[in-house]
Amino acid sequence: MITRYQILFACLFLLAACNHNAPVRDSQLALMKTTNPKPLVTDQNKSNDSVKEIKKDVSSFPELYDVAVIKGKKDTLVVYKVKHLYRFKMKKIEKNVNKKLEKKYPKENFTVSSDYKIFLEAVRLDEQMKSAKFSHKEAEKRLEDIVKMTDKTK
Amino acid sequence: MPTTKEKNTTPQQRNYQQLQQKHEIKRPVLKNCLKAFFVGGFICAIGQAVSYFYIYFFDFTEQSVGNPTVATMVFFSMLLTGFGVYDRLGQFAGAGSAVPVTGFGNAVISAAIEHRTEGFVLGVGGNMFKLAGSVILFGVFSAFVVALIKTLLVIWGVL
Repeated sequence: MITRYQILFACLFLLAACNHNAPVRDSQLALMKTTNPKPLVTDQNKSNDSVKEIKKDVSSFPELYDVAVIKGKKDTLVVYKVKHLYRFKMKKIEKNVNKKLEKKYPKENFTVSSDYKIFLEAVRLDEQMKSAKFSHKEAEKRLEDIVKMTDKTK
Repeated sequence: MPTTKEKNTTPQQRNYQQLQQKHEIKRPVLKNCLKAFFVGGFICAIGQAVSYFYIYFFDFTEQSVGNPTVATMVFFSMLLTGFGVYDRLGQFAGAGSAVPVTGFGNAVISAAIEHRTEGFVLGVGGNMFKLAGSVILFGVFSAFVVALIKTLLVIWGVL
């Protein structure tokens, strides 16, 4: 006789098989593993050297391990993940990152966050920008939305 | 020197107490702690998964995801209490099932089920928060005290 546990296991295996050939995107696992997204500029005609430099500076902090940087027309979004043992010092780390960036790049308007949601949205924006259908304007608008969301978390 | 309680007991009673202590089964404290640790940890892992679900599929940030997560976990524990599963889990895990927020849901709904025969107002309404009421009271009060201390520290420029 088939027990309910056997039915449950059969369902689990059958459902797991449905997802076999689907490609795994970075954003699907962004909350759990290190994704290290490339630094981005919403206007892809511009060079992203300065953004690379910003990412390098932020990554130099020993407390951080996954950094995403997106530069828009007005704002530059900097999102990072904090190593678990340093999560008690989040505010202090954010203050230090902000201070370092504003000192080195006084002309930029930085929005700094350690929120997982903001990080996930940054990775999603990176994926969307890879498709040809996604225009610069749409990217800029999405970045503004993310920055607004970041302001709400503070 | 014997205590006043020991003075009042007869030799027979003392003998009986010694015999009882000899045969008493010791509480498996370490085993209970381990059970509580693993079951409590498992409940918290489910909570983490629920919060990731809300972050991933809805517009909740890490700051705001706590509210729907707590509501969902309490709802789950209420369902499990209603089906009689959480009571068994409570017997097995002890503090592991009582300390997380699901234990709060269990305290509310089990009191409501117990007193439902006494009517909705005086029975369910009057007894629902008998146990959980003290949790809410001390929770709100301690939150008030902590917020007061933080406000003072911010005003004085310490934080």
